[in-house]
Amino acid sequence: MNRALPEMLPCSDMTVLQRQRARLKWQAEQFQQQSYFCELSGVFTSQNVHVQGFQQGGLVSGCGGGDSVLSNMEMTRQLKPDPGLEAAWPELGKVDMGFGSCGYGNGPSFDMNHAISRTSSCPPAVAAAAVEVKGNAEKMGSAVGRESFKKRKVEKLQNSKVVAEDESKRIKASEEEEEESKITGPNTNKITNHKKENSGDTSKDNSKVSEVQKPDYIHVRARRGQATDSHSLAERVRREKISERMKYLQDLVPGCNKITGKAGMLDEIINYVQSLQRQVEFLSMKLATVNPRLDFNIDNLYAKEEFPSCTTNFPTVGMAPEMANHSPYLQFNPIQQVVSGCGVEMGMGMGMNSSDMALRRTISAPVSIPDASFLNTTCFTGPQQQIQPSAPWEVELQNLYNVAFTDTIEESDLKMEM
Amino acid sequence: MNKYNPPRMNPSSLRSRFATRFLRSLSKINAKKPTASSSSPTEIFRRYRRIKVAADKSMAYSVRSRRTWSRAMLWKLRTRPCCRRSVKTSTIVRKTRHEKQNKNTTTTTGEDGVVFGVEADELRELVPGGEAMDLYNLLDETAHYIKCLTTQVQVMKKIADFYSP
Repeated sequence: MNRALPEMLPCSDMTVLQRQRARLKWQAEQFQQQSYFCELSGVFTSQNVHVQGFQQGGLVSGCGGGDSVLSNMEMTRQLKPDPGLEAAWPELGKVDMGFGSCGYGNGPSFDMNHAISRTSSCPPAVAAAAVEVKGNAEKMGSAVGRESFKKRKVEKLQNSKVVAEDESKRIKASEEEEEESKITGPNTNKITNHKKENSGDTSKDNSKVSEVQKPDYIHVRARRGQATDSHSLAERVRREKISERMKYLQDLVPGCNKITGKAGMLDEIINYVQSLQRQVEFLSMKLATVNPRLDFNIDNLYAKEEFPSCTTNFPTVGMAPEMANHSPYLQFNPIQQVVSGCGVEMGMGMGMNSSDMALRRTISAPVSIPDASFLNTTCFTGPQQQIQPSAPWEVELQNLYNVAFTDTIEESDLKMEM
Repeated sequence: MNKYNPPRMNPSSLRSRFATRFLRSLSKINAKKPTASSSSPTEIFRRYRRIKVAADKSMAYSVRSRRTWSRAMLWKLRTRPCCRRSVKTSTIVRKTRHEKQNKNTTTTTGEDGVVFGVEADELRELVPGGEAMDLYNLLDETAHYIKCLTTQVQVMKKIADFYSP
């Protein structure tokens, strides 16, 4: 009989039933998180008799073909409770699920249950009677449900914060993930926690999470236990934006994963920007010394396409393949092998490996020494390991030192030593 | 381990835009230089300055005016003293005063401004056009600036490696 019902109903109502089932499932989850259902069970048992009597009475009074309707009603009741619910509500029976859905603030659903089951399976003659019954059902339902609804509402409000916190924590977590991915986007809405809400609103809030940008103003709700000042709210939003930016910068700047704290991060960022600027200067110096044998034209682009980018591989383990990559198009001196070895140990990113190798062939080599020492101090795990390799470097570099660049290089040295 | 797939360059990417512009300006600079004096340090130094300016300019032009730092950099490059544009000197003075006023206000607002006071000032000096921005925008600009700088370094490095003996 249980299984017979789905086939008895036409297809459109099946979907409605499924919806109801889904809603009940969701409600069941809510129930499981809360503790007050025990109290409710007490409420239910007291009113169980009323409900059952009401339903049966309503059905009998309404329909001539009450048998089928009654069976429909019972079937709907029996189909709705999901395993989760059944586990939690073993002794209360299936009837209470319908009641629960009614009492939980979804009054219309209770009516819908009746209406649907009635309109689906009853012939038109019975439908008229069903409407009558429905009217009675509403009155009865409201009378019966109101008391328990009130009780439940009070308890719900008390417990909604707990639920809402859990939920919004989940929402926030997913939100943060979303926001981290929307890094360069403009201001995103911050929906933190909800002070009080009905269960129906949580679905709306779930959709709010996916809502992205509202350039006009930002929705923020105060968290539980925090000030609801407009100033503090704005401050919190600002702080969260800034921390999001800092996280993005952390990904951008190599070697920042270990550093926690904004001040250290900022120092790291500053150092990185400075080193990049210095590298640009050094490379332009190098290009100034290079005699162009070929024309600078688009052919170079094609050539460059074949060379992998050297500066984006920062992990220490990744250094070894980089050395191999450099070999095809760099002419190695034995000196460079030393540099490669050092590079592997130091695990320096920032493209210092290739630039250091390039140094062997250029005159402005000493520029790299301060860079190396700077990198020594900032980016490392094992300082002792890294300081040693720099010594053979400096020996080699001084061999290539050219008097012509003393002025500029000393100037940059001074800057770095600061 | 030696195997690597050369990535196909996106013709409208930042990297390709910068590379084409920079190569063009490089060829212009090299076309100007007389071969006789190329090895003298002063000449090389002059070329170095020109190349550096060309690199910055190419970078800023590749980003257009989409970013505050690129706008500030372009403005700075246009009003360099060697360009001999005396008309703009008055605007320079006004701007720095205005920027200083903004700077005072931005570092004092909010508790985060106090925390980041010293470092934020340093960052502002580094990032072009960073003087008149609050912390959030400053961080935003810094992120983009770092990205562009890394692209610049990569491209210049490849060019240098390509042309060095």
